[in-house]
Amino acid sequence: MSEARIDGRPVTLEAAVAQAAKLLAASRLPVIAGLGTDIAGARAAIALAERVGGVIDQMHSDALLRDLTVMREAGAYVTTPNEARLRGDTLLLVGPSLTETWSDLGERLVSAPLAAEIGGARRVFWLCPGKSAVPAGAKVVGRSPAELPGQLALLRACVGGRLARVPKAIAGLATALRAARFGVAVWSAAALDELTIEMLFGLIDELNPATRFTGLPLAPADNAIGVTQASGWMTGFPPRTAFGRGYPEHDPWRFGARRLIEDGEADCAVWISAYGPAQPNWRTHVPTITLTAGEPTQSAIHIQVGRPALDHDSVEHDPRTGTLVAKVASHRIDMPSVADVITRIAAALPGGAWPC
Amino acid sequence: MLTRIAGGRVIDPAHGRDAVGDVWVRDGYIVDAPPGAQADQTHDARGKVVMAGAIDIHSHIAGANTNTARLLLPEQHKASTRRPAETPLSTAGWSTFETGCRYAEMGFTTVVEPAVSPHHALHAHLELADTPIIDKAILSVLGNDDFLLGLLRQKDGPAAIRDHVAWTLQTSRALGIKCINAGGAVAFKANARSFSLDDAVPHYGVSSRAIFKALQHAVRELGVPHPLHLHCNNLGMAGNVETALATIAAAEDVPLHLAHVQFYAYGKEGERGFSSAAPRLAEAVNAAKVVTVDVGQVMFGQTVTISSDVLRQFDARHQAKPRKWVIFDGDANGGGIVPYNYRASDFYNAVQWAAGLELFLLIDDPSRVFFTTDHPNGAPFTTYPEIFALLMSRELRAEWIAKLPKEAMAATTLPSIAREYTLAEIATMTRAAPARLLGLSDRGHLGAGAVADVAVYDDGQGRARMFGSAALVFKDGELVVRNGKVTHYRFGRALTVRPDYDAAMDRRMAAYYDTRYGLADDFIKVPDFAIPRPAPFGLVPCAR
Repeated sequence: MSEARIDGRPVTLEAAVAQAAKLLAASRLPVIAGLGTDIAGARAAIALAERVGGVIDQMHSDALLRDLTVMREAGAYVTTPNEARLRGDTLLLVGPSLTETWSDLGERLVSAPLAAEIGGARRVFWLCPGKSAVPAGAKVVGRSPAELPGQLALLRACVGGRLARVPKAIAGLATALRAARFGVAVWSAAALDELTIEMLFGLIDELNPATRFTGLPLAPADNAIGVTQASGWMTGFPPRTAFGRGYPEHDPWRFGARRLIEDGEADCAVWISAYGPAQPNWRTHVPTITLTAGEPTQSAIHIQVGRPALDHDSVEHDPRTGTLVAKVASHRIDMPSVADVITRIAAALPGGAWPC
Repeated sequence: MLTRIAGGRVIDPAHGRDAVGDVWVRDGYIVDAPPGAQADQTHDARGKVVMAGAIDIHSHIAGANTNTARLLLPEQHKASTRRPAETPLSTAGWSTFETGCRYAEMGFTTVVEPAVSPHHALHAHLELADTPIIDKAILSVLGNDDFLLGLLRQKDGPAAIRDHVAWTLQTSRALGIKCINAGGAVAFKANARSFSLDDAVPHYGVSSRAIFKALQHAVRELGVPHPLHLHCNNLGMAGNVETALATIAAAEDVPLHLAHVQFYAYGKEGERGFSSAAPRLAEAVNAAKVVTVDVGQVMFGQTVTISSDVLRQFDARHQAKPRKWVIFDGDANGGGIVPYNYRASDFYNAVQWAAGLELFLLIDDPSRVFFTTDHPNGAPFTTYPEIFALLMSRELRAEWIAKLPKEAMAATTLPSIAREYTLAEIATMTRAAPARLLGLSDRGHLGAGAVADVAVYDDGQGRARMFGSAALVFKDGELVVRNGKVTHYRFGRALTVRPDYDAAMDRRMAAYYDTRYGLADDFIKVPDFAIPRPAPFGLVPCAR
């Protein structure tokens, strides 16, 4: 059973849904943020945002959009975690926070055996790992994350033959990368800025005429990639997309939920976090409807929702495979999903349910 | 409910019908005229052309690569008009919702997404589930996957290959099998930069020819209606007509479908070493009765090329405009997304445009040449109406030819071709023949028992306008388009085949995924619960 509250007081789910619909209908610019939800929840949230002329944003958009910005400015070479595991004979780990983003990195990638037909041992380099625990056998080049942009620029220039005097460590790394049969650079956009990611893309591009090299950007948590995929096919754009004018518009700065709220442009928010207890990340008060798997919050309206793949069946992005995967609930309980709740809210809006 | 579409010119080549008359619909199906019956609803089709709903056999409308193209090119799909009531997200530029609406508005009611990696099948089905109005299907891509290549390397024999193909079709819920530059993506991962029909795949020692032949036979022996759908080697290269001719010869007497053959109709004649070889290719297709083709017509303007032929796309990246691209080394084929602008003033692009039209016009039998632009590779599917007009009018072609580079037109035979397609031939190419090719006996015609997918077009206002904006479209008997605009949503099904296989393959695949990937094979499955529509799949029978 779902727990629902209005202004902290326990109410029925129906009452909370009705109040949420009322708040959204009266809002001039609502944001639907967090979006820590499965594909069904994302679909429902995006359809609701269009319906109420609101904005969608995801809690990891900062990192997501760094990778996407580079892709849509310059392009990308990417592979799957499976291919990196099976064929990546040379791994270039880039920057800190990799194991925080993907706890399976060591087991599923670094220490996994290469495919039998590839043979040989994997060579692993880590450029500027910071305080991360470096796996045995990995060679560290540079240390502090602050050095990373400079180190990467040197490395690219060296690979491209544009350096007269090459630091020894960089020269060795460049030689190793050029000798890769199928090399894979691994990074987490949570820890890098756009220019660094673009430098990395440039490095990969310059390696490819002679050898094969590609990239594996690690996926942020909370189904951020899955939400981005659903947003892409439904609207053409990733999150930070607005529907206020009756059609989708995308702008990473204008339609950031936190900015809209802190600048007083948005007058109502829906915060969705079904995977964990994440709370809204803005510092200004705005009437908020929270849909979370956690404890009741101080929001105007709180509805407890089930956890995808645990409490209810789900489709979500799986960072182990880099694909959308269907998952049967492992601990099924009677708790509405984000999609269930949002569908109810949409049906309670003036005009009733719409066919989406 | 009984509906009568009254007094139109009914063109139904599957039944040799081209005459003014009525089409009757009861409860979603076409029925014979019920004697003395009174229709509950009558739609006036006088002065209009009535055809079955059109079927597109090859259009990249969904899946991971298409979605990456959307995300790569935000500047190419800004919406500018507010959506009409009751059709959410339909004017989101290049959304699944817009795709379904635009197809329906042109009278198309079934569309096949022809290149889905089995590991991404769920993603593709989710996008298709959000594509309103039309029915759809996927073709699953094999031919660069480690398991199949391993079977060939081990010489496991045709039974194992059949079981694997059937397992793939069932697991990914597909209508058929596509093979894209067989072995080429694997070779590219091993640092090859070209890959031809008889080159050996590194690590596996099998040739492209051996891979596609194995798949071609497996598909036929399983009784899958749609023959192997093959994307040949050497796409886009000058002189590659030789590859296409060799592939046609290799088909022998087993059915084979060659995709977007315009991109293989190139010779090396002339000062620039590039010419149309469409007449030679058309001649070979005319002679090889087991071979069908679709064209992949090029039209001028900005588009984006989306192909699982990652080796070819890597080669094409320097021609990207705007200058950005995604090269994706996937679990098997992967893909390349490269934006491209076909220019009328460009010699090569003009030859490509002409070569496609030559193929349409020089292949005699409209039931063996299929109408595609390889959307969006040759052009967006929204250019179809203009292409119909070009096929139907020599005069219109002459107007275009006059504006194109003379040396390009000299490298083709197009200016000398007088043929003009009739409406019946268009209906054959877009309705009757694709239904037969895909094994969809319940559509592509207007005979009793067919699903009531019907397009009604205004005649006499120019062919491009006629086909661009249907007067009425019925899907499963429900009126969904009026005056060229979708009036409301309904959601179609994904059509699938389920050929039988030895259950030992289930155990073998589970063990394979466990050993090779360290994962349960659940991650590639497409369960009903994952698709957010009631009854999301429709079953198409196999011959055995």
